[in-house]
Amino acid sequence: MKRLLKWIGGVLAVLALVAFGVLCYMAGSPKDAYGMVRYALPHMHSGTLKVGSDAPDARLVALDGVNHFHIRERIGARPLVLVFGSFT
Amino acid sequence: MGDIVEIYNDYKEKADFLTVYVREAHPTDEWQMKSNVKDDVCYAQPKTLEQRVAIAKDFTSRYKFPLPFGIDDMSNAADSVYSAWPERLYIIDETGHLAYRGGMGPFHYKPAEVRDWLAAKYGAVKHEAPVAVAPASSATASASPSATGASAPSGQAPGGSTK
Repeated sequence: MKRLLKWIGGVLAVLALVAFGVLCYMAGSPKDAYGMVRYALPHMHSGTLKVGSDAPDARLVALDGVNHFHIRERIGARPLVLVFGSFT
Repeated sequence: MGDIVEIYNDYKEKADFLTVYVREAHPTDEWQMKSNVKDDVCYAQPKTLEQRVAIAKDFTSRYKFPLPFGIDDMSNAADSVYSAWPERLYIIDETGHLAYRGGMGPFHYKPAEVRDWLAAKYGAVKHEAPVAVAPASSATASASPSATGASAPSGQAPGGSTK
């Protein structure tokens, strides 16, 4: 029984090391791997929208910081390309 | 990433565009990237709408970003309904339905797919291949837009500095 537990523990440790290695490779460094796990993964969601779904609406703030408008107000006679992103 | 501005310039007479600025991906107080320091794009995660607007203004003015622009509010409503963070692309058709759903950025953020969609509907816009510059004097080389970096800002898009 002890031997089995040792094996399981060993395998889990190797798997954890491999996962950490892959994460470091993807992120660029151990520090970035931590950043990815701590700050990125909790906010990344594939979502449930599909092609053909009704486009959800949301209220946005204009660049002047005062006025607001809705995404749906921009839907009209032409397709609307939505580009989501941030500065960093 | 700079492809988005080029796509906008190619298809702005055919389609509408809207950039939605969402919460920062690599702020100084979270997961900052070395490339952000190198590019002098260092901001803490905004805690107020005023701070978020200020960063958005800095972005649009620094890069003379030409696309229409909106800012997600502090409840991150647009991000929530579109699962948009850190960057993502969609196309909404004239009937208000999603015609294209891009993958999650940065790994599945593919402006080329948006271009393909628009090209299928409106026809492709061809760009001349960059002309290879023969070795010349340093004065000639430094006068070219690429050498001076003059073309870089026009190609910048949100999130592009780190990708």
